[in-house]
Amino acid sequence: MNRRVSTLLLVVAAAGIAGAIWTAFRPGDNVVVVYVSEDQVFSEPILKDFERETGIQIKAVYDTEETKSAGAMNRLIAEKTNPQADVYWANEPIRAEVLRQQGVSAPYRSPNAEGIPEQFRNAEGHWTGFSARGRILIVRRWLKEKPLSIRAYTDPRFNGKAVIANPLFGTTTAHMAALFIVWGDAPAKAFLDAVRKNGVRVSSSNGESADQVATGAFQFALADTDDVHSRQKQGQPVEGIYPDQEKGGLGCFIVPNAVLLIKGAPRPEKGRKLIDYLLSRETEKKLAYSDAGQIPLHSDVDTPPAVRRLETLKVMNVDYAAVAAKMQMIQPLLRDWVGH
Amino acid sequence: MQRRLTLLLVVGALVIIGLLPLVMMLGKSFFVDDTLTFAVYEKLFADARVQWEPMAHSLTLASLTAGFAMVLGVPLGLLLGKTDLPFRRALAVLLSVPLLIPPYILAVSWFNFLARDGLLARFIPARTAELMSGWLFGLPGCVWVLVGAFMPVVMILTMVYVHAVSPRLEESGRLITRWPGILRHITLPMIMPGILFGGMLVFLLALGEVGVPMFLRYPVYPVETLTQFSAFYDFGAAAAAATPMLGITLAVLALERFCLREKTYRLRPVTSGTRMLLVSLGRWGVPAFLAVSLLAAAVVALPLLALIVASLSPFAYSEAWSKAADSLGRSLIFAVFGASLLMLFGFFCGYLIHHRVLRFWRAVDTLTLLLFTLPGTVIGVGLIALWNRPVTGFVYASAAMVILAYLAQYTALTSRITLATLGNVPHSLEEAAQMTGAPWLARIFHVVVPAALPGVIAAWLIGFIFCLRDLGASMLVYPPGQDTLPVRIYTLMANGAPSLIAALCVIVVSVTLTSLAILGSLLRTALSHR
Repeated sequence: MNRRVSTLLLVVAAAGIAGAIWTAFRPGDNVVVVYVSEDQVFSEPILKDFERETGIQIKAVYDTEETKSAGAMNRLIAEKTNPQADVYWANEPIRAEVLRQQGVSAPYRSPNAEGIPEQFRNAEGHWTGFSARGRILIVRRWLKEKPLSIRAYTDPRFNGKAVIANPLFGTTTAHMAALFIVWGDAPAKAFLDAVRKNGVRVSSSNGESADQVATGAFQFALADTDDVHSRQKQGQPVEGIYPDQEKGGLGCFIVPNAVLLIKGAPRPEKGRKLIDYLLSRETEKKLAYSDAGQIPLHSDVDTPPAVRRLETLKVMNVDYAAVAAKMQMIQPLLRDWVGH
Repeated sequence: MQRRLTLLLVVGALVIIGLLPLVMMLGKSFFVDDTLTFAVYEKLFADARVQWEPMAHSLTLASLTAGFAMVLGVPLGLLLGKTDLPFRRALAVLLSVPLLIPPYILAVSWFNFLARDGLLARFIPARTAELMSGWLFGLPGCVWVLVGAFMPVVMILTMVYVHAVSPRLEESGRLITRWPGILRHITLPMIMPGILFGGMLVFLLALGEVGVPMFLRYPVYPVETLTQFSAFYDFGAAAAAATPMLGITLAVLALERFCLREKTYRLRPVTSGTRMLLVSLGRWGVPAFLAVSLLAAAVVALPLLALIVASLSPFAYSEAWSKAADSLGRSLIFAVFGASLLMLFGFFCGYLIHHRVLRFWRAVDTLTLLLFTLPGTVIGVGLIALWNRPVTGFVYASAAMVILAYLAQYTALTSRITLATLGNVPHSLEEAAQMTGAPWLARIFHVVVPAALPGVIAAWLIGFIFCLRDLGASMLVYPPGQDTLPVRIYTLMANGAPSLIAALCVIVVSVTLTSLAILGSLLRTALSHR
C-alpha cells in the first residue's frame, strides 16, 4: 500500500508542475493591460464599463492600501526595460510625475483632455489629470466648534484630539510637500513641529484616520474626499469641511487622478483608447456620482449636490512636478517627524 | 549518482528561484547609474542612530511574540497532540484559524471588537471600553494580535514533533516516573528542536511584520524597507534596508545551531506498528478542556466573532462572492500547486540537510531561511528583475511567477518540517532497500516517503496555508487580471464596505477549513490503507 501513497504524492507533485505550465499564458490580442492605484471599489466599475462598451478586455493589476500603494508603481519601474502594462491609472499626479522622471511614461495628448485646466496636465502630455479628490477635514457631525483650516492642528482647543495619516505615505506626503512649496521650508517645518507639540496622533492611513473620527476617538482628521463620502454612505456621523476657503486663504489641496501611457507599451493603440475613455466627461460624471464623489475637472460635467464643483472651490495652486520633487527632499524630515 | 544529481538539480532550481533574485536586488544596492558604490550603505549606517529605535522596537516585538507564542503554543501542542483531551481535534482546528487570516485583518478585527464603540463597548462601562481601546494601540496590542496570529505555528509544530518521539523511550520512563516527569525529561527535550524552530519562525515572522504595527501605531524597522519602495521607489536602498534583517536572521540561525548543536537530528525512529502514547488526563480532562476553550475563545473566537458580526449585512456575502469568486478559485489552484511543489522541494532540501549529502548542505538551510525572512516586496522585485526579459517573457507573463514566489519564500518551512520528520525514519530502512538493489529514487518514494508520511503531509498543509494567505511577493508578480484572494481583499479594503471585507475574510476562513478538512479526510483514507 506504500506504493499507492507514494503514487498519490507523485501525482499531486506532478499536478503542481503541470498546473504551473498549464497556467502559463500571455494576455490575448483584444486586451489592454492597466495598472491601477485608484481604489479598486471605484476604478473596477469604470473599467468594466469600458470592456462592455468597446469589447476590449481589461487585464488589471490593482494596488493595495496595506502596502501603501507600493505594488503597481514598483512593478512599473521594475518592468521598465520590458513593459507589460499599457496604461497606468494613478490616484494622484505625483506618482505619474515620478514615472515621467523615471522614463516610464510616453507622451499622449488625448482629445478628451480638452477643457481640463492646465494645472492638472503635464505640458508634454506625459500624464493627464481627471476626476479629483480634495484633501478635506473630516469631523464628527455634532462637534460644536468645527475646524475650518488645517491650522486647527496647531490650535490648543484640539490638543490631543486630532489625527493625521502617516505623512511618509500617500496623499498626506503630497499634501505636506505642497505646504512646503506654498509656505516655504521654514514655516512648513515650524507648522509640523507645532502640530506634533499639539499632541496629534499618527494613523497608518487616511481611511484609518476617517474611521478614528467616525468612532469618536478623535475630533477631526485630514482625509481625502472619498474617505469622507464612503463613511457618510456607511451612515457614520461625520461631515467633510473644505479647509482654508476664506478670502486670501490657503485653499484646498486638490489631488486629481492621472492617467498615462506606458513607454514601449505592448498594445499602445488600445492603451490610448482606454486613456480617451478615462478622460471623457462620462467617466468624470460616473466618478462624481459614485461613492468616491470625485470632483470633475471638466467644468461642464453634471455632479450630485454633495460633490463640490471645481469652480466653486478655492484651490491650492501648486505645480505637481514641483510637489513630486519636494516630496523626495522632505522625506528624511518627515521620517524624523514620525519617529519622534 | 542518481541521489547527487537529483539533489543538485533541486539546489540549482533553488538558486535560480531564490538566490538569483536576491543577488539581483543586492546588486542594485551596490550599483548606482552602473557605477559601483557603497553610498547606499554609507547612508544607511549614517542613519543608524535614527533607525536604532524602530529596530529595538522590532526586536522587542519579535522577542515578546515568540516568547508568548512558545509559552502558550507548547502546552497547547502537548495537550492537543499528546493527551486524550476531549474535542482536541476541534480545538486544534479552532486554534489554528488565526493562521489562515492575514495578521492585518486580525488587527482590524480586534479594533472592531475593542474600539470605543466596538462590540465589547456595548457590554462594558464606557471608561473601561476606553481603557481597553487605548491598550490595543502600542506594544501590548501588537504582541496580543501577533501572538494570536502566530502561536498556531508553535502549537502545530509541537503536535507534529510529539509524533516523532519514540514510544519505547516513554514506556521505559513510565517504569520509574509519572507522565509529568516523562514529559519534562524525555518528551520535551526530544522535541526541543521543533519547539525552538517554531519559536524561531514566529520570531522571524513577527520581525518582518509591517501591517499590524503600522495599524496599531508601533514604529518598527521593516517600515524602512517599505518606505524606500513606496516613497522613494529606490530598489537599491530598499534591498540595503533589508540587510539588517538578514543579519538578524543569521544571528538567530547561529543561536539555534549553538543551542541545539547535534541535538537537532537525534529524534528516535518510529517504525510502523508503534503508536504514539497518549497521556490520560483523567480528572484533569474537564478543567484542561475548559482552560483551552477559554483560551480559544479569547484568542480566536472573539476576533472571529467581530468579523462575523461585521459581515452581517443583507448583501455582504453575495457581493463578496460576486467580487471575489474568481480570485478565490485562483488562490486555491495556486495554493495546491504551490504546496505540492513546496512539499517536493522541501522534501529534497530536508533530505539533503539531514543526510548532509552535499558539502554545502548548511548553505542550503541558511539560504531558505534567509529567503523566508526577506520582505516579500524584495523577493517580488528581484523576481521581476530576473524573469521580465523577452527570452523568459512566457514565464513572466504567467501564473508560474506566483508559484516561483511561493517557492522562493516558503521552502524553509517545508524543508525544516521534512528535516524533523526524517530524524525518526531509521536509516536502516533505506539501507535495506539499497541492499535489494533499489535505485535511490525508488528508495525515496517507496521507503522513505511512506515512512515520513505524517511530516510530508504536515509540510504540504503548512505550505498550502502559507500560499493561500501570501500577499507580499505574489502581489508584485501575479499576472494582470489574475489576482489572488488576499490581494483582492487588500485592494478592496481601500474604501470597500467593512461588511464586504469581513464577509470576504469569513469566506477565506471557511473555504480554507473546508479544503483542509476534505484534503485531511482524503489523506486519512490513504493512510488507513498503509
